[in-house]
Amino acid sequence: MKRRGLLFYARLYCKILAQDLKSKMSYRADFIISTIGMVFTNIAGFVSFWILFRNFSTINGWGYYEMLFLYGFSLVALTPAQCFFDNNWSLRIYVYSGDFIKYCFRPINLFFYYQSEVFDIKGLGQLAFGLGTIIYSWIKLGLGFSPLMLVKVVIFLITASLVMIALQTAAAATCFWIQNSFYVLDLAFRFKDYAKYPITIFNKGFRFIFTFIMPIAFIAYYPSLVILRPDEVPLLSWLSPVFGIVFFYVAYRIWMYGAMKYNGTGS
Amino acid sequence: MNLKKYLSLTRNGIMESLQFRLSMFIVFVGNLLYLIVVYFLWKAIYASSGEEVVNGMTFSDTLIYLVLATALFNFMEMYTVWQMGRAIQSGAIVLTLLKPMEIRRYMFWEYSGNFVVNFFATLLPTFIVVSVVTHGAIPLGMNLLYFVISVVMAVIINYNIDFFVGTICLYTESIWGINIMKQVIVLLLSGATIPIAFFPETIRTIVYWLPFQSIYNSPLTLLLGKSSDIKDIGITLGTQLLWCVVTYAISKLFWKISLPQITVNGG
Amino acid sequence: MAPVIDIKNVTKEFKVLNRREGLAGSIKDLFSRDYKTVRAVDNITMSIEQGEIVGYLGPNGAGKSTTIKMMTGVLEPTSGEILVNGKLPYKNRSKNAQNIGVVFGQRSQLWWALPLVESFRLLKDIYQISDEDYDGMMKLYRSLVDIEPLLHKPVRQMSLGQRTLSDILAAFLHNPKIVFLDEPTIGLDVSMKAKIRTLIHALNKEKNTTVILTTHDMGDVDALCRRIVIIDKGRMLYDNDISHLKGFFGSYRTLKIRVDGDLKKEAEVIGKEFPALKVEADDEWISILVDEEKITVMEVFTKLQKTRRVRDMQLEEISTEEVIKKIYEEGVE
Repeated sequence: MKRRGLLFYARLYCKILAQDLKSKMSYRADFIISTIGMVFTNIAGFVSFWILFRNFSTINGWGYYEMLFLYGFSLVALTPAQCFFDNNWSLRIYVYSGDFIKYCFRPINLFFYYQSEVFDIKGLGQLAFGLGTIIYSWIKLGLGFSPLMLVKVVIFLITASLVMIALQTAAAATCFWIQNSFYVLDLAFRFKDYAKYPITIFNKGFRFIFTFIMPIAFIAYYPSLVILRPDEVPLLSWLSPVFGIVFFYVAYRIWMYGAMKYNGTGS
Repeated sequence: MNLKKYLSLTRNGIMESLQFRLSMFIVFVGNLLYLIVVYFLWKAIYASSGEEVVNGMTFSDTLIYLVLATALFNFMEMYTVWQMGRAIQSGAIVLTLLKPMEIRRYMFWEYSGNFVVNFFATLLPTFIVVSVVTHGAIPLGMNLLYFVISVVMAVIINYNIDFFVGTICLYTESIWGINIMKQVIVLLLSGATIPIAFFPETIRTIVYWLPFQSIYNSPLTLLLGKSSDIKDIGITLGTQLLWCVVTYAISKLFWKISLPQITVNGG
Repeated sequence: MAPVIDIKNVTKEFKVLNRREGLAGSIKDLFSRDYKTVRAVDNITMSIEQGEIVGYLGPNGAGKSTTIKMMTGVLEPTSGEILVNGKLPYKNRSKNAQNIGVVFGQRSQLWWALPLVESFRLLKDIYQISDEDYDGMMKLYRSLVDIEPLLHKPVRQMSLGQRTLSDILAAFLHNPKIVFLDEPTIGLDVSMKAKIRTLIHALNKEKNTTVILTTHDMGDVDALCRRIVIIDKGRMLYDNDISHLKGFFGSYRTLKIRVDGDLKKEAEVIGKEFPALKVEADDEWISILVDEEKITVMEVFTKLQKTRRVRDMQLEEISTEEVIKKIYEEGVE
């Protein structure tokens, strides 16, 4: 048997993805309505943002366009969790019905196999919306442009996305222990709404909590400082890629541990 | 009407929700976090505006409004659209139709146990905490009575809208898309995320002509006792009553028209 | 040759939550929880050779699926040792998975929205099946069943029978050494059952695949298994040839007669005449269970005929189903 390395998984994912897209097309009405729903969510989010902040020129030293940049950054960073890890939402149903066992019999990584089954294409609308917002506020802020900045923003966006993936994965994994994990997942999902605010609005205690315990500040605030305020980047911002990777790894281990433990309790 | 069969549904509902002790705790934590974020966000907004009163609301008004809006949301959310959507997709809706009770009543009363639990678990404690913390910023008088009446009607309007949206699931498989659209529209236009007082003039006028503001804005405005004019109160309650009747009629009619979708297509 | 599956003194225990009853119970559960230990599998030992088809039987909740989960590496035994292909499955779940195939009758493992052939292609990649082997397997499948109409049909549009068939084909696709079939014929009609049995039999012959079959349908057992293992409440009750099993109870036959008058009363009278035999009556027949080692059916029948008019009679051999039922109820003794 050949070794199953990263390349094997990448190729397999592409194949599964292609198949999944094909089958999505067979539910066209669902696809269109879901996409409209997603667009609605984004528009509503933007409208709320606009209603709130249009009256004030700055909030806590943050200008309108800087807030907008954070907002766009958070949208983009949240997209991978939405697109690639959406099957987390179904986990509790599979576990509850006992159908989860079917994922355990394949000679490939359980977590990969489970997550690969669903690709949520409607997240792409959010990606487009977020990118548009970033570019618009980038221009309005006159941040300038260099290839290095592009590299930075891409790297920090990707690692920031790992934080949300980690939160969602860990939250979904709770269903291996408790019956109704929907609330936990819903709680984690609501975190994404808080990611778009500058952490400086909170007092010291909650800054600590949102940095280290529920690390939502790493979804948008810390990583975007690297672009927004290059003159005063705190150490935590530079470390945010490391945090992203660490959080993801921990969440992955929790998920795998839960999956094995769950099977141990029988069904 | 045989009250006993309804009450037995209520009792079962209470038992089920008690079993989820952890989810109750998690819902509590989630709301607490949300409130913390809301608190600091609005504190920053008011601090930046440099004014005591913005759009006719003080900081504590806004906070009470949003805190209770969240509590009301948790109190009222029945996941009707999900339940109907699932029942329709799995074909289980046929079984519900066989029960000797009209489906909209059955679903309502089946859920009603949660109202009892939610009232004591979230709404009442939130209310008490808020009124203690704000040192009596909530007037305790006739407005409480109006609030209760208003909430009852809000529950009915909310349920009617949910049932209407749930019925759409007879036509499409896209439960997620339908539900998210409903949720986004209701939450934004009802004033649950941002008090309607903060909306720009034109949008505010439009929103007043829609049923959604009767769900959150009406009971909360009555509770805060912004107007003690009996005429204003009468208009608010009257509008709600009107929307109760209208939404009831529309959702009932829509269900009646749509029912052949099941009987003809076999579910 | 070493056995393909070797189970030695395996025990598996679970902790389960004791839920209290009623409204008061739910409230109590809120504050204190009460766990108890359940022994799902209790000291089981068996070994299975390559190419065998073993019927793994037992009433619901006997511990069958727990044993299977341990053999597939999903569960770790509490004590004892399981070796599959000479390795510990729990420690080598992925490697073990390469050598096994699993079918759960009610739970399709195929990609729901995809046509069958696409599922097969993904499995080909997952199990890293070479083109040669894949083509060979497809050729074999074509010779055994009419798969062309299935290949391009999305799994969600298939009937239960077609889906089960597809799941079985998918489980054999990577030519595993062992295939676990959990109630493969549940909910199927008679002709589909026959089709599936023929397919399993043919695949076992062709590839010398070991098949572990759990089922409640004795038709499956009669058609496929030479050896059966019976467990109940986690304990092993029986492990031997099916013919041997019939020998256990084979000396029993049921004589059914119909006579004039009230059957219930007649049955009582006959019961007194033959105190050693079990006599029962329903609306149509009086059934007499005869142990032929003590008295032959002919002797009983002749005696009966002397004193009354027998209008009709039937003779029933004991079926596997009844034997198993007897074992569930009374044990091997």
